Amino acid sequence: MKLGRALVWLASGAVLMLVFAAYLRPDVAMTLADQLWSCF
Amino acid sequence: MKQVLICGALIVTLSMGIRHGFGLWLQPVTMDRGWTRETFALAIAIQNLSWGIAGPFAGALSDRFGAFRVLIVGALFYAAGLIFMGLSTSAIGFMGSAGLLLGMAQSGTTYAVVYGVIGRNVAANKRSWAMGVTAAAGSFGQFLMVPVENGLINGVGWQYALFILGLAALAIVPLAFGLKEPAVVAPKGPQQSMKAAVREAFSHPSFLLLMAGYFVCGFQVVFIGVHMPSYLKDHGLTPNVATTALALIGLFNVFGTYAAGTLGERLPKRYILSAIYALRAVAITVFISVPLTPWSVYVFASVMGFLWLSTIPPTNAVIAQIFGVKYLSMLGGFVFLSHQVGSFLGAWLGGRLYNMTGSYDVVWWIAVALGVFAALVNLPVKEQAIVRAQPAPA
Repeated sequence: MKLGRALVWLASGAVLMLVFAAYLRPDVAMTLADQLWSCF
Repeated sequence: MKQVLICGALIVTLSMGIRHGFGLWLQPVTMDRGWTRETFALAIAIQNLSWGIAGPFAGALSDRFGAFRVLIVGALFYAAGLIFMGLSTSAIGFMGSAGLLLGMAQSGTTYAVVYGVIGRNVAANKRSWAMGVTAAAGSFGQFLMVPVENGLINGVGWQYALFILGLAALAIVPLAFGLKEPAVVAPKGPQQSMKAAVREAFSHPSFLLLMAGYFVCGFQVVFIGVHMPSYLKDHGLTPNVATTALALIGLFNVFGTYAAGTLGERLPKRYILSAIYALRAVAITVFISVPLTPWSVYVFASVMGFLWLSTIPPTNAVIAQIFGVKYLSMLGGFVFLSHQVGSFLGAWLGGRLYNMTGSYDVVWWIAVALGVFAALVNLPVKEQAIVRAQPAPA
């Protein structure tokens, strides 16, 4: 049970880090800075 | 309980996620259609107001006829809104689809409706945690969908990206069946009517205090969301700093909403809410008082991200605690309407006062003052369940 919970947390952390990394790609970064914030 | 939680979380992930990246369509839509930014921004403003105004009605329908029906209609509205948003060639059509229709869709597929089912199906001592899990899922949806939508627009074009998202919104339909509640046999005797529930809530000081707090939440979050990039730009910071700040807000928002829900199991929710608003006031004060550097922005974004939507679980859990769960979606809708009015003012007043004074200083200090105000007004909230007079038997 504890191992299962730890795995869920680990997987969640990995997914969050992957998404965070996606924001830092130069093409995404420029689009977001230019467009997204204006209608956040 | 597990089914309600999983389906509710997935629904909110989709509904909150899809809408969050609408700003990405600003440039391609305005360029293709030859509209101004104002047209696009007005449609988004209409969407936010329509979401808030339709909230109590969607909640009332959900409490009366079942959340799953409202969710299905909401999902159909969502899909139709996205498809017509892609097809609209007139500004009026765009306002109707991207504005009105999508706002109504969001009122039928987001927190208020889902929380009603969670409130009725999760034990009272686990309710705040369950609301935290669902809110964290919504926060994750927001965080996830921005790069996904950016990839879709670049990959298939802005119109097809909307059509694909329209199809994705339809996934809410099967998930809604996971929130289908068995028909409740009404106990004998007089029942509280919807009208009486509204009257009761609006005459209860704690409900009004919670509404006041949620108004501040909307004001602060939207002011920062809309005006922060301009503020950073005015101070000579690069666009990359703004984007990293956005990513940090999204990341820490997931942790913050979950933590607030989990804490609600252990601590009085009024203290959690008061602490959230007080910490926001402190964070903003420190941010505008220290020299602005990329690192001060990152720290501020992380702290504000943690506090971003963390007000949602305790606010809704305390409403359930005081008023019960029968009309939870409707009452949650009313409180959310107050949030949206605050959001509107945060966006508008930020721009208005900037034009009048030439800086954001006044609005930042208003946000601090409102944070202190919200921290104080949440303290006297009485979390005890309301005791209703029982009519004497005939």
